Amino acid sequence: MKDSRPPEWAIRFLTWFCSQGLLDAVLGDLLELHARRREKLGKRRSDWLFVWNVLLFLQPFAWKRNVKNSHKLNSINMLRHNLLLAYRNFRRYKSSFFINLTGLSTGLACAILIFLWVNDELLIDQFHENKNELYQVMENVDQAGGIITRQTTAGPTAAALLDEMPEVVSAVTATTKRITNYTLSVGTNNIKAKGLYADAGYFNLFSYELIEGGKNQVLSDKKAIVISESLASRLFGATNNVVGEVVEWQHDKQYRVSGVFKDIPSYSSVQFDFVLSFEGFRDDNEWVTNWYNTAPQTYLLLKKGTDIDRFNDKVRDLIRTKTDGRAAHRSPFIARYSDTYLYNHYENGIQAGGRIEYVKLFSIIALFILVIACINFMNLSTARASRRTKEVGIKKVMGAQRKALVFQYLGESTFMAFLSLIFALVFVSIILPQFNEITEKQLVLNLNFTVAAFLIGIVLITGGLAGSYPALYLSGFNPNVVLRGKLTGLMGKLWARKGLVVFQFTLSIILILSVWVVYSQIEFVQNKNLGYEKDNILILGKEGLLRETEKLNTFLTEIRNLNGIIGASSIGHDMTGHNGGTYGVGWPGKDPENRTEFENVAVNYAMTEILGIEVMEGRTFSEEFGAETEKIIFNEAAIEFMGLTDPIGKVITLWGEDKEIIGVVKDFHFDSFHEEVKPLFIRFNPYATHFIMAKIEAGKEKEAIDNLQRFYRSYNPGFPFGYRFLDEDYQELYAAEQRVSTLSGYFAALAILISCLGLFGLAAFTAERRTREIGIRKILGSTEFQIVYLLSGDFTKMVLAAIFIALPLSYFITQQWLESFAFHIDLRWWFFAATAILALLIAWITVGMQTVKAAKTNPVKCLKDE
Amino acid sequence: MKGTHLGEFEELVILTVAILYDDAYGLAVTDELEKRTGRNVTISSVHKSLVRLEGKGYLKSHMGGATELRGGRKKRLYVLTQAGVKVVNQVKQLRNSMWDAVPKIVWEGGNI
Repeated sequence: MKDSRPPEWAIRFLTWFCSQGLLDAVLGDLLELHARRREKLGKRRSDWLFVWNVLLFLQPFAWKRNVKNSHKLNSINMLRHNLLLAYRNFRRYKSSFFINLTGLSTGLACAILIFLWVNDELLIDQFHENKNELYQVMENVDQAGGIITRQTTAGPTAAALLDEMPEVVSAVTATTKRITNYTLSVGTNNIKAKGLYADAGYFNLFSYELIEGGKNQVLSDKKAIVISESLASRLFGATNNVVGEVVEWQHDKQYRVSGVFKDIPSYSSVQFDFVLSFEGFRDDNEWVTNWYNTAPQTYLLLKKGTDIDRFNDKVRDLIRTKTDGRAAHRSPFIARYSDTYLYNHYENGIQAGGRIEYVKLFSIIALFILVIACINFMNLSTARASRRTKEVGIKKVMGAQRKALVFQYLGESTFMAFLSLIFALVFVSIILPQFNEITEKQLVLNLNFTVAAFLIGIVLITGGLAGSYPALYLSGFNPNVVLRGKLTGLMGKLWARKGLVVFQFTLSIILILSVWVVYSQIEFVQNKNLGYEKDNILILGKEGLLRETEKLNTFLTEIRNLNGIIGASSIGHDMTGHNGGTYGVGWPGKDPENRTEFENVAVNYAMTEILGIEVMEGRTFSEEFGAETEKIIFNEAAIEFMGLTDPIGKVITLWGEDKEIIGVVKDFHFDSFHEEVKPLFIRFNPYATHFIMAKIEAGKEKEAIDNLQRFYRSYNPGFPFGYRFLDEDYQELYAAEQRVSTLSGYFAALAILISCLGLFGLAAFTAERRTREIGIRKILGSTEFQIVYLLSGDFTKMVLAAIFIALPLSYFITQQWLESFAFHIDLRWWFFAATAILALLIAWITVGMQTVKAAKTNPVKCLKDE
Repeated sequence: MKGTHLGEFEELVILTVAILYDDAYGLAVTDELEKRTGRNVTISSVHKSLVRLEGKGYLKSHMGGATELRGGRKKRLYVLTQAGVKVVNQVKQLRNSMWDAVPKIVWEGGNI
């Protein structure tokens, strides 16, 4: 008889969803129908029809409407009830509520800020439409000290690659790494603006938006200038109808506006106001047309699906072939342009990170801080939850299901996380302008879908993580045990909490130490004796009349007499990085295979004195000796490299001409501290200098600048007076490090604050749990100090454990970072000792506030309770 | 008030319930409907209409006898309420009056 019944699961399914009032009638009918069909159609078909009929009843009219309704009502009630409970709990335990709120919202705020920054960094140069096929040509230069990777290429590279490589769709030469300030004028309106030279295909390769002009035409004429929207309004007072207008460049050449582009967006790594034709530049600068000189950048658009490794194999020997093996040390290769911003550092010719490391670093810091904040939240929730065991007991006795309790606690923590998110967002919007200033970005808190999804994700994860422990653990209590007040299990789980605290403090200690080391190194770099004096030196560009050597010298003589100016001269080097070098130095006994670049510094009279460069032997260039173009000065590194003894008076060759060594100067840092001091020579050639440097009397800066400006305007009319300070330029060399150190300083402080908040809450919890123990101890004669010692002991152990884990880790991390500097501070033992003591002190102070309070409590108070 | 209107299928169901008089439960109504209309009628739609009609107050129900064949499940037996009788009558009158209003010529197949 059993097998005459339809499938049991279908009946059970119907029973599950069908309303009580209908179930008997429906099921009866279906069974009757099934029995009838079974005789006619057989078991299989009638079973299927039965299932089909059951499914047909899946309509609202048949559902358990009443039950469903009351359930809905109940859950709304419960939600209200839970919210009320949460609110009462927050009010009752204000301190832990505020600790949680502060900790979590600062943690979230940090994470949001870092997310915005990282997101922005990752977007840089990603907007070019053909970014997947856009490549930049670089050169690995084989030198005596190892391979150096340069972005400068030879002028003919683009044309040759386009000609010889079928993979190349188009190739463009542009001076994107040497964007300089030039004076542009329309009528009497003179304006300084940043410009570059580029081949005709520039706007075709890069997706800078043109408002006027076609992307293939704007640079096709040698006399064309393409300007930005804002430059157009600065020059002409309008952005439309400017095409065809004439702009004068450096009061020297006339260009005709052929197009207007939208201002370069902040997410482009290259920023400029106008573009001139590289063809025109080539006509005036013959040196750029040969394979030996490198200066501009070369960009390629490759066919889709080109095998980059194969392509690199093909271009490796390009320079050697073109120069018949004479420039054998240069091997070109290509790198994807959209990667060059983040992956900009090469070591010995191999890609070795770059900005991406900061992106990673900050992502890790954000994660750390968020984890620390979450741990706090978890620890405090657990602690607070233990006060609520009775609530759980009563609820269970009244018939609350475990599910409801889990829901309550998870709901509470998610609610808390949401609350923190709101605070965090407010905090972020307040702090964002300052953050932008430090990071030199234009970040906005734009709540688009990605950001919103990210935030909600964080909240749910944080709320879930933080609430999970109390939710799952507390709800599992046996109400019987809880209500009798025998809570044995709760303290047993302390190890988990201890582990979390140790982890938190490990992260904090690593952050403290790293930030300290970064700070000290930056300090060291800023204050180290560079070998020259960078303070109070004002730099002017050499333009207009000043390009004529005679006028330049008159100008220098005149300004030396201005009030507030101590001295003035001109130089061909900006003292902040590699400017230009040459292999053309020859000396007796030189190994012909030797490839060492000598940094080339052209100076005017008295330049070395203005910079305060120390002379070791011989003399410097002086007007007393007339034109000294036949003489040369080296730095110590160069003399040592050439192996010359007693160098003064010896004759070497530079570019085939004999030069007599008249002096040796002490090594000075003309490049970043990441680099060793390289061989350098100083030659006398006022014509080859680019910058005017004036030493200003300290304290008379304003007067000196005013005087200088007045004189400059009258002497060199038509050129706006634009100046910089050498020490500012110098600081920019370390802008990245400076930024990282400032930011990580803030973040480390926050991490510690959050950790301390957690420790504080935990100490409060422990003290409360042991109130009676403390009372009894005191009655039995324990002193307050002993109590404090007892209570702090546990925390001390935890912090000590964290110290032992953190110190070796931070040693490795900081040591590695320091090694990226050729000149760096040494890690000293007291860095570590002081950090450890600092961590301990912070922990003690935090815990102490609670333990002292607990120890001072009158034992009568704690014992009469219950 | 929502849904005092009778749909075509509902009308058929309520009439079938009336025809079956004291044995009008889901399956019986389905059988009767299939027999009289010749349509394929699914049992779920009949139940749906019965529930609706009861909701509208045209039918009332009580639980009836269980049989072995029904796996021991009781039948829900439906009968017309006074409102039900009234609404069926109204429908009929409406139809009649509309029939009467049709000009004779239509039926005699004049110039169509």
